[in-house]
Amino acid sequence: MNNTQISEEERDILQEIMNIAFGQAAAELAEIINIFVVLSIPYIRMIEAVDLPDYIRTEFSEFGNISIVEQNFWGDFKGTALLIFPAGSGKELISLLDDTPPPVAGSQSSDILEKETLMEVGNILIGACVGKVAELLKDVVTYSPPRVIVEDHPDIMMPKTLFDPTNSAIILKTIFCFNERDVHGFLFLITSHKSVAWLKTALADFMKQYE
Amino acid sequence: MNEISQIFEIVNFGLVILDNELNVKHWNQWMARHSGIEADRITGAFLLDFFPELNTPRFLRSCKMVIAFGNFSFFSQKLHHFLFPFKPDGSFKSMFEYMQQNCTLGPLRNDLNAITGIFLIVQDVTELASYEQKLVEMNMKDGLTGIYNRRFFQTRLSEEYERHTRYAGMLSLIMFDIDFFKNVNDNYGHQCGDSVLKSVAAKIGSIIRKTDYLARYGGEEFCCLLPQTDLAAARRLAERFRLHIEALMTPCQGHDINVTISLGVSGLHGEDSEEMLLKRADQALYDAKNSGRNCTVVMP
Repeated sequence: MNNTQISEEERDILQEIMNIAFGQAAAELAEIINIFVVLSIPYIRMIEAVDLPDYIRTEFSEFGNISIVEQNFWGDFKGTALLIFPAGSGKELISLLDDTPPPVAGSQSSDILEKETLMEVGNILIGACVGKVAELLKDVVTYSPPRVIVEDHPDIMMPKTLFDPTNSAIILKTIFCFNERDVHGFLFLITSHKSVAWLKTALADFMKQYE
Repeated sequence: MNEISQIFEIVNFGLVILDNELNVKHWNQWMARHSGIEADRITGAFLLDFFPELNTPRFLRSCKMVIAFGNFSFFSQKLHHFLFPFKPDGSFKSMFEYMQQNCTLGPLRNDLNAITGIFLIVQDVTELASYEQKLVEMNMKDGLTGIYNRRFFQTRLSEEYERHTRYAGMLSLIMFDIDFFKNVNDNYGHQCGDSVLKSVAAKIGSIIRKTDYLARYGGEEFCCLLPQTDLAAARRLAERFRLHIEALMTPCQGHDINVTISLGVSGLHGEDSEEMLLKRADQALYDAKNSGRNCTVVMP
């Protein structure tokens, strides 16, 4: 097993950490900011980042258009988080934030509102998920502002550097359900091989506390 | 003052440090300058006492998120315009009532990684926002007359058409054209031709409702999109356009120029496409031209 892939055992540990992290994140989101979201991770796997565009295309072919929120995070564990929603989810999510947004001038106001809502929800979810995982692995991360990189566009048009051969992609097929509303999102974490090496060490350290 | 503290005062953006209860711990020069509140006056005070406008669910949620999760939170100018109600720099006062801001909130931690407070960064993006606004306007408006341009009109037409087919409302269109416009240019020169175009656009613009869209469609051709308007009302409005223009005098270089317009009216119905709505209005306008001009023809 080379150092840029995770073993089956490591994947199981990661899945366990994700479950703990997402459970805590969901509880805190509900308690602190009244956002009720069910987070579940039926599936984790790691692939090479170069294969991710094809993976996304295949996996989301049934959705038609998708919206992708991208956010970078830095810590010992660093990389890019991609949160993918079916296009139009922003409209569903607007009511989630439960406060009337300020009016926006111009005819594209509803598009802007939808896009900004996607970014805000993306920021909350990515922050909660990545932050919790980092916390469990004793890391502290900071974030770039989120961006919506694909909006209502059938083709995946993300920066090529993201899918560099020196990057790995951790696929967390995470499902987010909001307030029993059926908005599903999927989270992908793209990290460098170096971060994967760190992750392997951190996972080993995490297990030590149970030994 | 140590070096880091000097930088804190020097940087050209707002920097605030709050404790976990949102009391101000540090307030940099930039914030003092733009708020008119000196650091020694606000330090130790509850931030919301000085800025009650921050008492919104969105801002409080962001603070909680920073403190509880160590999350970052971003207030983009696009959606929120600003967080702190500061006056914009002089040159932007006519465009914006308040300085446009991008704001970032994030956690500050001690050596044990425990969150001890919040940092708040305020960036003045008024200049950028003004460029964006100007670009958006240039993209929407006709340079000469100041009414909407053809591109924007097409976008609105598509949107209104969508809305119409979804909610089954009414949608009418008036297309009109200045009669013998070439003669104005030939007799008085192009400057006067431009003046006539401007005054016709301004006159019609003053008659229509806020919900209607008036656009310059071609050289001396105009379109007016009328959402939630039936054909009879559109026809009445078209006649008002005609009478107002008939009575309009445009002063130019010592002349008082009078023109008339011909108008075509159509309404959307049944299985119509947007193109058919346009096409029928165009046909009606053509018929009005052939019926002696200075008149309105309706093609339902």
